[in-house]
Amino acid sequence: MTGDPPPRPAERFDEVFDVYFAEIHRYAAKRLGPDAAADVAAQTFLEAFRQRRRYDPERAHVRTWLYGIATKVVGRHKRAETRALRTRARLGPGRSSEEHTERVDSRVSAEGLRGELAGAIAALPRGQRDVLLLVALADLSHDEVAAALGISYGTVGSRLNRARTTLRKALGGTNPMLTLEEQHG
Amino acid sequence: MDEVRMVRDRYPEPAPPTAQEIARAKALLNEAPRRSLPRLRWGLGGVVAAGAAATLAFTLVGGNTSGGGNPAPLRTVNLDAKGAILAAAEKAEQQPIGKYWYVDHLDGQSYIMRPKTGTYAITGATSESFSWYGAKPGMGEAYYGRDLPAHPLTARDAALWRKAGSPSSFRVWSGDKYLTFTTKATKWSANGPERGTDPRGGGDFMGKSAKELQNLPTSPDELAKMFLSETEMKRAMGHLPNPRAELEQRFRQAEPYSDIMRVASLLGRAPVPPKVRAGLMRALASQPGIHAIGRGTDPLDRQGVALASDDRATTVTGEFGGPKVDQGTYRSRAVVIFDERTGALLSRQEELTKPGGRYAEMKPGFIIEYQAVRSTNWTDTKPTPPAELPFD
Repeated sequence: MTGDPPPRPAERFDEVFDVYFAEIHRYAAKRLGPDAAADVAAQTFLEAFRQRRRYDPERAHVRTWLYGIATKVVGRHKRAETRALRTRARLGPGRSSEEHTERVDSRVSAEGLRGELAGAIAALPRGQRDVLLLVALADLSHDEVAAALGISYGTVGSRLNRARTTLRKALGGTNPMLTLEEQHG
Repeated sequence: MDEVRMVRDRYPEPAPPTAQEIARAKALLNEAPRRSLPRLRWGLGGVVAAGAAATLAFTLVGGNTSGGGNPAPLRTVNLDAKGAILAAAEKAEQQPIGKYWYVDHLDGQSYIMRPKTGTYAITGATSESFSWYGAKPGMGEAYYGRDLPAHPLTARDAALWRKAGSPSSFRVWSGDKYLTFTTKATKWSANGPERGTDPRGGGDFMGKSAKELQNLPTSPDELAKMFLSETEMKRAMGHLPNPRAELEQRFRQAEPYSDIMRVASLLGRAPVPPKVRAGLMRALASQPGIHAIGRGTDPLDRQGVALASDDRATTVTGEFGGPKVDQGTYRSRAVVIFDERTGALLSRQEELTKPGGRYAEMKPGFIIEYQAVRSTNWTDTKPTPPAELPFD
C-alpha cells in the first residue's frame, strides 16, 4: 500500500472501483475460477456502492472492507468453490493439464492447485477457509481479517491455526511444498 | 512448514478481468442509483414508506384477475390530447401557495408466506414518511418516518393468515437475506438515515421554487420536453454524460419505467398546479411504451385512472441463496393511478402481469410493491405527522 490516503467510497466511488476492481476480481477468480469471478467482483462493488455511506474509515481500510464484502459474496457461491476444489482434487497432482479438456481443468495452470491440498481446503469449515484464504490470497493481516469478517482478533488466530493443522494432517504431515515442487521440478 | 505460503503459491494465478467484464461491472454501478430511484427521487431525501390494511382488498387495476396474460382494461380511458377525462383537473382552481408544503407517503413490498394451511401474501417492509418544506428557503424542512405493521394483503390473504394462526411476525427472504417483519408499528422518528430536520432548508421542490412550479407550462408537449426528454431523463437519473452502448440500451429498455417514476415523483412530491398535473399525465400517456389501462383502485382503496408501462420479465436465480420456490421468471409492469378530478397522484406500483417464480401462485394484477400518497397539501401552520395509522 502506498502512503496516499485511499479514495473515500461515499464521494469517490469511481476511484475505489478503478483502484481495487482487478484485485478483487483476482481474489474471486482464485477462489471460484474465472467464470464466477466477474459476477462476484461486480456484485461486490455493487454492494459496496450501496453501502458506501455506511463505510467507516475508522474501522477498516477500503481494501479490507472490500475483501470483507467479496468474501461474503464468495460465500454465496460456496458450492461452486467446493465443487471447483473437489474437481481439482480429483485431478490429482500428477496429471498434466494437456490431458484434460474440461473447463475446470483449463483454468488450472501446470502449477495449479491440485490433489490433496485442494481437497483439504474444500473440506475446511467455511469460517476457517475464509480466514485462511484472506491471509494467503489477499495478504490481509490478522487485524484486517478480523475487521473484514467482523470477528475478533483471537478468532482469526484460532481459525487459522485450526485450518493449518487440518491441512498439515491432510497432507500426511510431510512437506507437500517439497513434494509438489519435486513433481513439477 | 508454512501452510499459508503453500496455499498462496499453489493457487493458480488467474487471468485479469477482461475489458468487457470491467465495463459490465461498471454498468451495474451506473444502474445502481436507478434501482434506488423510487426512494431517491420521489423521496426527495425523505423516507418513503407504505401500508395497506389487513382488511383492505385490492381491486386490481384492470380488474381482470382470472387467467394469464395482461389484465384486461375495464374501460378504455382516453388520455390523448382530445380526451375529456382530465377536463375536471384542467378546470380545477389553482391553490395559492401556503407557508408549508407537506407530503405523507406510504410504501410496501409484498411477500409470499407458505404455511401448510395455505399460501397467502403479506405487505412487509412497509413504512410511512412524512415531510414538510417551507415555501421559501430558510423556512426549514423536516423528514419523519415510521415502520408500519406488516399485514395480509387482501381479505382473502387475511383469512388464510388467520387459518395459519394469525402469526405476529413474518420471516421472509429479501434479495440475499432473511428479514423478519412484525405486526407492530414504530413511533414517528426524525432520526436515522434519510430522516431529520434542516432549519435552514425549504423553498426547493425538486430543484425548482414553489413559484416556478406554479408557472410551469400546461401543454403536454412542452412538459414532455421539459421533464421526459432523453437528456433531461438522463440528467435526473444521474447518468453518465457519455454512457457506453450497452448502457444506452438498458436505458432505453427501462424508459417507460423511468418515465412513470419521474412523473410520479413530480406529482407525488411537488406542489404542482392541477393544470400542470393534467398536462404531465397527458405527456406521460403519449410516451412510447406507456398505455392508458382504464380505471383502477389504488393500494389505499381509492379510485382513479391508470397508466401502465409495457411489462418486462424478471428472473430470480438461486445465485444469492434463498428458497428454491422463489426461483423462476415472472412478468410485471409499472402502474400509476391518478385522481382524475384533480390530476393528483394516488399511487405508483409494480403489478404482476404473468405469474411465475415466487409469484407463481398469485394472479395478474397482484401488487408486488407500491408507493402511495396518503395526503399532500399546503398549510399555514407547521405540519406534524398524523398519529393515526393509515389503515386499521
